Amino acid sequence: MSWNNWLPLLVILSSLLPGLIIFGLAEERVRLRIALNLLGAVVKVGLVGWMLWGVYNGFHYEMRLPLLPGLELVLRAGPLSLLFVTLSAVLWLITTVYAIGYLEDSPNRSRFFGFFSLCVTATVGVALSGNLITFLLFYELLTLATYPLVVHRGTEAARRAGRTYLAYTIFGGALLLLGTIWLYTLTGTLEFTPQGGFLDGLGGEHRPALIIIFALLIAGFGVKAALVPFHGWLPQAMVAPAPVSALLHAVAVVKAGAFGIVRVVYDVFGVEFAAGLGVLGPLAWLAAITIIYGSLRALYQDDLKRRLAFSTVSQVSYITLGVAIAGPIATIGGVVHLVHQGLMKITLFFCAGNLAETLGIHKISEMNGVGRRMPWTMAAFTVGAFGMIGAPPVAGFVTKWYLGLGALEADQAWVIIVLAGSSLLNAAYFLPILYRAWFREPSGAWPEERDFGRKETAWALLLPPLLTAAMALSAGLLVMLPFSPLEWAKLIAAQEFYLP
Amino acid sequence: MNTDIYAVLLLIVVVIWPLLLAIPALHARLPWPRHLAIIPAVLLAVLPGGASLELPWLLFGTGFAMEGESRWILAMSATIWFAAAAITKPSKHDFANQRTTTFFLLTLAGNLGAVLATDLVGFFCFATLMGYGFYGLLVQGGDEVARRAGCRYLIVLIVADLLLFEALLLAAFATENLRFEAVHEAMAGASSSSFYLWMVFIGFALKAGVWPAHLWLTTAFNSAPRSTALLLGGVPVAMGLLGAVRWLPLGEHAFGVSALIIQGVGVAAMLYAILRFFTHVSVKSLPAWTAVALTGLFIVALGGGLAHPALWRQYEFIAYPFIALVAIFLATLTFIIGRMQGAHQFPVVASQRVEMMSRWVNGWTEGRHQWANDRLLGLQSLWRVSWLKAARQYQRILGGQKLRDLTNGWDVKITLFVLLGLAIAWLAG
Repeated sequence: MSWNNWLPLLVILSSLLPGLIIFGLAEERVRLRIALNLLGAVVKVGLVGWMLWGVYNGFHYEMRLPLLPGLELVLRAGPLSLLFVTLSAVLWLITTVYAIGYLEDSPNRSRFFGFFSLCVTATVGVALSGNLITFLLFYELLTLATYPLVVHRGTEAARRAGRTYLAYTIFGGALLLLGTIWLYTLTGTLEFTPQGGFLDGLGGEHRPALIIIFALLIAGFGVKAALVPFHGWLPQAMVAPAPVSALLHAVAVVKAGAFGIVRVVYDVFGVEFAAGLGVLGPLAWLAAITIIYGSLRALYQDDLKRRLAFSTVSQVSYITLGVAIAGPIATIGGVVHLVHQGLMKITLFFCAGNLAETLGIHKISEMNGVGRRMPWTMAAFTVGAFGMIGAPPVAGFVTKWYLGLGALEADQAWVIIVLAGSSLLNAAYFLPILYRAWFREPSGAWPEERDFGRKETAWALLLPPLLTAAMALSAGLLVMLPFSPLEWAKLIAAQEFYLP
Repeated sequence: MNTDIYAVLLLIVVVIWPLLLAIPALHARLPWPRHLAIIPAVLLAVLPGGASLELPWLLFGTGFAMEGESRWILAMSATIWFAAAAITKPSKHDFANQRTTTFFLLTLAGNLGAVLATDLVGFFCFATLMGYGFYGLLVQGGDEVARRAGCRYLIVLIVADLLLFEALLLAAFATENLRFEAVHEAMAGASSSSFYLWMVFIGFALKAGVWPAHLWLTTAFNSAPRSTALLLGGVPVAMGLLGAVRWLPLGEHAFGVSALIIQGVGVAAMLYAILRFFTHVSVKSLPAWTAVALTGLFIVALGGGLAHPALWRQYEFIAYPFIALVAIFLATLTFIIGRMQGAHQFPVVASQRVEMMSRWVNGWTEGRHQWANDRLLGLQSLWRVSWLKAARQYQRILGGQKLRDLTNGWDVKITLFVLLGLAIAWLAG
């Protein structure tokens, strides 16, 4: 086995080992904990960068370890997996810096950062999985690693949110396991197969079974992807600290669900086979309903993080929609939104965290005039919000562009109406926030203001949203550059649809 | 370095410079940041020769160009922005000042970028930046009237952008090259050309405040501060008209019925504006109704161009100077009225609005009558006075409550005016 084959495992270990060490650290070992966290995150980014360059130049990175008789633990780096791994690795580094600033004086930091590292380990494992069983193992590890983060504050609301999260995700995991086992009994393999999936040889007699398996897998992944009606846990989980919300909404959990759906359609069933089964149409409609429903619910939330949570419900379904439209251009739109939504939503959650930590603002009705008190934070928020609306030149515009073109290509013009409706609703729930922040006079004293001298807030809290906002803007402006998320998504689409 | 290289550098600086200056930390440290931001545009407008710049790595591949017809619009924009910068009154509050300057500069960057853009995506991006920036300028007053005007504008802006985005998708589906000329050619032969035409027309009509989507424009003229009102003609109105000219496949394809309907809308807009002019006009909304009438006139010409491509190719060169002159005229009118209001010749508060035309016609008629009685006593002057009396009577009738109710009604009004416009357009055709 060559050095290159160890790379996927090293990427996983780069967060697992620091995480395990951090669990054993005493609370007062602040510097060592910070050093371990940052070292792990930086090493991971470096390794991922290496693999990215390799895959771009045609290298293959694969590692196989025996798991059960006939089943292997497979880690493989291809274009699709690297898109997700890169997103997770880069945003994990930024979120770690943010979390260090956010939890500066909080209790139980070793526990928090231990599970934090474990969570990213599981996410990267999900991304690098080469077969469905490996995917399932890391997917369940993600559930277990995230639960302690959701209940971290220890309040009654946090415990309730944790219970709801666990109930939903265990139910989803059970459906997934059932679907996986059934699939294995039919095919004898669970190996992800790009360019057509591994079900092509199955005869027509299995059609009803395959439709049910598809429904089980989509429902299983749909829980984490917050597809309606499996979305109930996500708005409740916003009681978690802001770095956890960022992790749930942008880096790990919902993305793992959406990524699972992408894997099922492309690498298990194959686009053509799934279209032949007639399951992609209902999936597209389910995604469309989720997009509109999430936006409608977001309209009526006064709690800022809750509004953002319903926005996630809506936005993550763009990925599913892009996949379900089943064409190369829509695939680009759906897959690239994995990255774009992550960049925009993490910016918004960082900003919400800054408002809460610095001024004690949790509700939108408390945000009058906050732009003059925290101009940089609100500037980053503004970029994220415009990106969600789909206004150019922020990344969200590129997503809607490709989804719209993909819909035209697939002769599904109704998707354009859904996209337009979603943009309209996004504008309806984001622009009033911006108006309050920039144009209203402050109502009086802030709920719980902390003094940061001449700065609007701590550097560790301010730099991450500024950086992610700049990345969201760059992803839209510099869309044609090599290694941009769009160019990478084009590579994936070319692979799935045999394009030159 | 030769002049061309200077021009290419200026092309970049014209857009980037106001964007950079929009950062409060930067413009707060500079004297006259608004004026400074316009200087590169002025230089580019007066520099002889053209320039173009391709930026394949930006957006979906975009570019900027300074060509013959753009010079009119750029010169007009620079003039109006300079005037607006000169008459802006600083607020007492630092934050309000910085905020207004930021929105001023963002709108300026969007405006200049849209003027110089060579493709649909570039134009769309800069026009969107301009639109949201302008919203910031509209609501800066902070009072209820400003908020309402801003809200109306924002709704129009969002709907227009959605329609234009759909048009953009249709164009991108028809051709990979989204430069204006390539899109004109591609959309002329595309099966979706009529749909594209309507998306573009309605989108830009909303942005320019073309009747019957003029409500935001009249409210904005009434509520905006002087410097912002000055920009209304040059920014949203002129850019809306410019967008229609640049996006529509004019001179390439004959659109039969659609062109006739568009001409009808234009005629109806003019008739409506004239009617309102005589019945409802208040001092501050005079430029708004002038804008409605002039955009109506432009729409008639646009419809003519869509119906007869050869005609458009022959007279296309007039379109850009016309847009520039409309903007300059509206800005001048707004400025003069603003000065008169500033000198307390006309009250500005809504409850004190004067039926300006009524006063003018009354005053003029009675003055002329008196003058004729006193000085001339000739038949000719008596005839003129009689005509003026008739005009006054006509104005009184038009100013009656019944007609007010009719023109305040919405659906009937639109239908009647469109039908009338269509009839006139058809007869003229």
